[in-house]
Amino acid sequence: MSESRLEVRDLRKSYEAGQIKALEGVDLAIGAGEFVSISGPSGSGKSTLLNLLGGLDVPTSGDVLYKQKKLGSEVDLDTYRAQHVGFVFQAFYLLPSLRAIENVQVPWVGRRSAGGVRADKAEALLRELDMGHRLHQYPGQLSAGERQRVAIARSLANDPEVLLADEPTGNLDSANSSKIMELLVGLQVKRNMTLIIVTHEDSIAGSAPRHIRMRDGRTVP
Amino acid sequence: MSSTLTLANFAWKNVWRRRLRTCLTLCGIGMGIGAFVALVGFSRGFEHAWLQLYESTGTDIAVVQKTFMNTTVDESADQTILRVPGVAQVSPMLLNMMDVTADVNALVYGLHANSFEFGPFTVSPGRIFREGQPEVMLGSLLADSLNKKPGDTLEIQGATFTVVGVYHGGSALEAGAVVMPITQLQRLASLEGKATAIHVRLKPPAPGESADQRMHNAQRAIEAALPGLRAVPAAERASNNQLVALAHAAAWGTSAIALLVGALGIANTMAMSVFERTREIGVLRALGWTGRRVMTLILVEAGGLGLGGGVLGILGGWVALRVLAAVPKTASIVTTSLAFSTLADALGVAVLVGLAAGFVPAWRASRLLPVEAMRYE
Repeated sequence: MSESRLEVRDLRKSYEAGQIKALEGVDLAIGAGEFVSISGPSGSGKSTLLNLLGGLDVPTSGDVLYKQKKLGSEVDLDTYRAQHVGFVFQAFYLLPSLRAIENVQVPWVGRRSAGGVRADKAEALLRELDMGHRLHQYPGQLSAGERQRVAIARSLANDPEVLLADEPTGNLDSANSSKIMELLVGLQVKRNMTLIIVTHEDSIAGSAPRHIRMRDGRTVP
Repeated sequence: MSSTLTLANFAWKNVWRRRLRTCLTLCGIGMGIGAFVALVGFSRGFEHAWLQLYESTGTDIAVVQKTFMNTTVDESADQTILRVPGVAQVSPMLLNMMDVTADVNALVYGLHANSFEFGPFTVSPGRIFREGQPEVMLGSLLADSLNKKPGDTLEIQGATFTVVGVYHGGSALEAGAVVMPITQLQRLASLEGKATAIHVRLKPPAPGESADQRMHNAQRAIEAALPGLRAVPAAERASNNQLVALAHAAAWGTSAIALLVGALGIANTMAMSVFERTREIGVLRALGWTGRRVMTLILVEAGGLGLGGGVLGILGGWVALRVLAAVPKTASIVTTSLAFSTLADALGVAVLVGLAAGFVPAWRASRLLPVEAMRYE
């Protein structure tokens, strides 16, 4: 396996004062440029694991390491999310008052970079994802597949080394699901990103070279 | 079409998503700022008119009581002051505000007929009153408003006076005022032998003496000769006399209440906005926004609401001043010109109120954990 990009050690996460145990000791290492799928039934802990890998949440115990450095202590979580990781969500989470090209720029707003360059880069990303003809549409004017393409463009805004996708095809029909998966895999290869997809669809899980199954907060063989 | 998303236009788009609520919030803060502009503008106009009054008459020093509530001095102190080195002329002045008709009240000045304070005025038509006689002169503004001319009579506090002249020049306070012999006003106000202040005109500075030194030396000498009285430079007297101080206090106090109501409106709007956008804020955090950036966005939105309300309020306040200037009861002491400092203060106060009102919602938004915010239904 290539050099480890993300690693988790004895990762545990519980809610409501320990009443609900979402993760119960997960150990995992994911290499640079690797495409990994995580599947399992509802409540198996797959989304919790993804959130912890992405620095959206903090573990109850155990560590998440990015390039051998602990998230939250050796790597600041805000910096990690801003510079190293991109997210694609099932519900897209585009901002309804912003046009497609503006949604892609959201990660940069309030940061020091030239405005003109930002707009150009956002446009280039959307064109790369075949959305050049929908730059100035609002999310409400886009189809579900188009919205997910805008969300993927937004996730690439910071040139992440790790792309995390939580049920990226969950709100799409089968035709659009295939297209979005082709797109994600193509981007992963082209950009040599680590791609981690959480899914409950066997066909998608099986398309990844490495498939991790989860049950009751643990990985299973 | 501009495609670049900046923090400012992102904030604008967020605020404009709830148009009705934004407009109502703007009206709320606008009313507060409008009250501020009208009332503070009014009180500053009043102060400015006082300053003009002193400047136009050539008064250098006003001798007044030290205490705030005791508003008169013995008129006889003028002779003591006249003997102070450096003093050229003195003019006791009694001031009151009285009803001159059922609808109109005006400032009434009592002066001696030979006062140096008549210097800048031209009396036309008519003449200056005679010492001790029941005669009055009217400022041009008041004469127009009352439609009075020399030869007419005017009843003040039950006493009848003959209008002997209409004077021009001086400040807005004087243009809307009545001037009568000081002994007549002392009798009307039951203040025999009293004056509101004794105005002093100084001699030119001695060779080698600066204007400041001349002023300082005269102040010290007058206060030494009349313990219990204060010799105040005219410019200072304009800003801190009892009437101006009360006008300022009333203006700021009333404005503060109106601004508080406006601030509560912004606080409510921002709290609702953050509440409704909890999930969006979680998305921003997931996209790498720091808590500080989220806080900045909310504060820009709140400050923008304050600024927008401030602009609306300035327009509203200006209209209110125009109305006050047209109403006979207040026309004599209201100027419609708004000082730049009042406008700058109004905008500054509006933005500060917006920022203060938005601080708590912004702080709460900045503390949201991304995953908790995104789970929010």
